[in-house]
Formats: sequence, C-alpha cells, structure tokens
Amino acid sequence: MTGTSHRRRLPGRLALRRRWVPLLALLGIGALGATMAVRVADPESGTDGSPVSAPGAPPPPLTGHSLSGTPVDLAGLRGRVVVVNLFASWCGPCRDELPLLAETRRRWTSRDLQVIAVAVRDSTTAVRALLAETGAEELTVLPDPAGATAVNWGAFGVPETFLVDREGRIADRATGPVTAKWLDRHLTPLLGIP
Amino acid sequence: MRGRRIAGTLLLLVLLLGAVVGTYRSVRPVDDDPARRLAAELRCPACQGESVADSRSPIAAAMRDVITAQLGQGRSPDEIRTYLVRRYGAEVLSAPPARGWGLALWLVPVLALGAGAFPAVHAYRRHRRPAAAGSRPRAADAVVRPAGPSRPAVSAGRVWTAGAVTVLVLVGGVAVAAPRLADTSRPARPPDPAASADPVPDLLALARTMEEQNRYEVAAEIYRTALHQQPADEIRLRLAFTLIRIGQAAEATRLAEAVLASRPDTPDALLMLGLAQRGNDPTASTRTLRRFLDRAPGHPAAAEIRHLVGSG
Repeated sequence: MTGTSHRRRLPGRLALRRRWVPLLALLGIGALGATMAVRVADPESGTDGSPVSAPGAPPPPLTGHSLSGTPVDLAGLRGRVVVVNLFASWCGPCRDELPLLAETRRRWTSRDLQVIAVAVRDSTTAVRALLAETGAEELTVLPDPAGATAVNWGAFGVPETFLVDREGRIADRATGPVTAKWLDRHLTPLLGIP
Repeated sequence: MRGRRIAGTLLLLVLLLGAVVGTYRSVRPVDDDPARRLAAELRCPACQGESVADSRSPIAAAMRDVITAQLGQGRSPDEIRTYLVRRYGAEVLSAPPARGWGLALWLVPVLALGAGAFPAVHAYRRHRRPAAAGSRPRAADAVVRPAGPSRPAVSAGRVWTAGAVTVLVLVGGVAVAAPRLADTSRPARPPDPAASADPVPDLLALARTMEEQNRYEVAAEIYRTALHQQPADEIRLRLAFTLIRIGQAAEATRLAEAVLASRPDTPDALLMLGLAQRGNDPTASTRTLRRFLDRAPGHPAAAEIRHLVGSG
C-alpha cells in the first residue's frame, strides 16, 4: 500500500530494503509454522513425549486376573517377549486386528511369546462375544473397565500395541492397528528370529 | 458510502462480541467441580484442539475417571498433572507455565497485538484526518501527502516497518524459546506411587465414581475386577449393592450369603441379603432385615429399613 510513496521519497535501495522486511516477517512466521507442524506431526521428534511408555523404559505395571480367572503379572514374564495389545469390542480396527494377534501367538508361542490383550472400557460379555467371533478365545485378556490401565500406559486410544522385550523393557509401540508386516519387522527380531 | 460504513461497523461489532465471548468462555471457571476444572485445562491427547473435559473420545473419558479417582484418593491437582505429563508429555497441559521461558509464550500474543494495533490505529487516524478536512477521501491512502500540521508524512511507513521488525524478533524469540520450554516443563520427579503398587484402591475409587454417575453396570464390572484382585468381603458387599440397583438380585444374594458364611450376622451383609431377597422372597427378606435391625439398630440405613419392614 505504501510502496509507491516510499519509492518516491526514499533512495531506491533503502526503499527496496523496507519492502523486504514485511516479506521476511511473513517468511519467518511461515517457517515457524512449518517447524511446529513437523514437530506435531512427528511424535518421534518430540523428546518430551510420554516418558513412561517410551521405548527403552520399563513398562508400567500390568497385573490382574484374566477373563478366564488366571492371575496375570507382566513383571513375572521377564525372559519372554510380551505383546501388550489394548483393544475394545466397540472398536472396528481392533476387531480386524485380533485374528492376527491370535495367529501370531499360536505361531511363536514356542519362542516364548506371550500376548496380553487389555479390554479397555468394555464389558466382559461383549469381550467374550468378540473373542468368539474372531476366533481369538485363547488370548489372555485383562479387563480394564474404566480405562485406568490404558491411561497408566499413556495410550492414546485403541487399538494400541506395545512390545516388551526379554529384559522387561518396552521395545516398541504402535498407535493404531498393527499389520503382519509391522509385526515381522518389529516383533520377530525380539524373538531372535532372523 | 454510509451503508458501507454501517456494515463495516456492524461487522467489527460482531467480531468484537465474538472475541469477548470467546475470551470469557476460555477464562471463566468451568464450575466448582475440581475434577472438571482440572480436566478442562488438559488437552485430550487423542483429539485435535479439545480439552479432556469436552472430548467424547474414550481415552479422554478414561482420563476424566482417573482424575476423579485420584482426587478422591487425596492427590493434589499438581500431582495428577505430573502423573499425566509423564504419560502424555507436556503437550497435555493446555496452558504453558507462566514463568521462565513459558512467560515468553504468554507475552508474545500481547506484544504481537500491540505491534499490530499501533500501526493500524495510526493508519486509521491518518486516513480520517484529511477526510475530515474535506479533501478527496481516496487521496488519504497516499500517506506521503502532508496531511496536517502534526507529523511528517513518512511516519506511517516507518511504523509498519517497525511493526514488521518487531514481529520478526518475536517470531525468532518464540523459535528459540519453544524447545527450551519443552525441556524445562518436563517434570524431574521420581515415579509416583500410582504407577506401581496396588491397583485395588484405584479401582474402588473409580467404581464409586461410576456409581455417582449412575453407571451401575460399569461400576459392577469394576467391582468384579477388584474382587478378582483382592477377594475382600467389603468389595463383595459393594458389588452386591450395585447389583441390587441393576436388578441382578440372584448374584447379589450369592455374594451376601458368601460373606455371611464366613462372618455370620455381619450387619451390612444382612442388609444386602435382605434387599436382594425382596423381589423373589418378601417373607425371607423381612426376616433378614429384622435380623439386620436387631444387630445394628444404629446403622445409617436403619431408619429407612424400619420404615420398609413396617410398611411391607
């Protein structure tokens, strides 16, 4: 708006420089926005992400009685690889994921793999029905009726999966459904399978 | 011209009103419930731009329950904030701390507003003066024109430049401050007891919250889980009471009888058994409730039960 007037009154180079300043300001704001967008979009870069269940950290406690009544304690499973999967019958992707988890457990159980599925804010009746429907009855399911375990693990929702290695540390986590490819890439190395 | 002015003024008024309402909504105390107040100042980690109090996502609902339960156990809002920050990062806090580097984030909007408003007001005043003096209104855009005795004409341009430089400096300041802020706001605390130890008190507090919200099915589910962890008579009786409320008298009867088998004549167990029997066996119910009144005439529920037995 003021560009032409400046040019008339000021020496050319100075006027040009003044016109550059607002442009630079805009560029600065743009750069800041881009930096923040990248930080937000890439959870890995946020060093201040959830420290409790970050890879390398010891997992939060996971104890209780499974749906079938057997006592479960993650701390007692040191030496085995444990897949901790948070799911719910009201979650569509979880429904699709359960057969894969059941199949994975069957396949690697001889390699000391244990799968603990945590039923988040769900009723036991609905969970039993879902397990029957997806052929995943043999999974060890821990009820988490109020979602306190999910919050204690720093979960963002369901499904969410954590891998706990033989040393009892969190090795990896996946927000959203896991695929056979993801398990191949992240779980099989923990099991010592080349 | 006049119509445009009125439309412009109206638009400005609407925008101002919106700003005032928005500001009021964001700063007013939500209500007296401390759990809701704490939830309102936390960002839902699974959603965009929603607070834990407002979000309908299941994880936000779980966080609300956890907040209520932990407050119920006497934990302070600060401890709960720390608990959640250790799980979801500093991003769950919707307000940066107003000290140290965090202060910069509070000051930036104020400074930016000032830096933006000053040249705007200045330009507006320059725009009005020649118009009032009767010169052609369009000419007022040309700020170079000497338009009054007060100031040299080039000052508006200078002000814009100064404003732009200020914005640049502020942006730079924020860019430098943001990562440090993230560092300092990370709590350096030992793991809190909630991360370990016994889950049963947590579960019981949660179940009580559910009962207060009339969600008895969920409460019963939680009591069952707690009972698995710790087969205590007190939990059995709480579960029984919840089951009576949702009409599952048979299971409630079994639970009360189990308690009476190990501790005969426990008043609370007699009370639950009596209430559970009311639907199917009113005679047995009256008998049990009379026994309850014999054992515990001073029980908080005694007056009501006396009334119930007397009238039924």
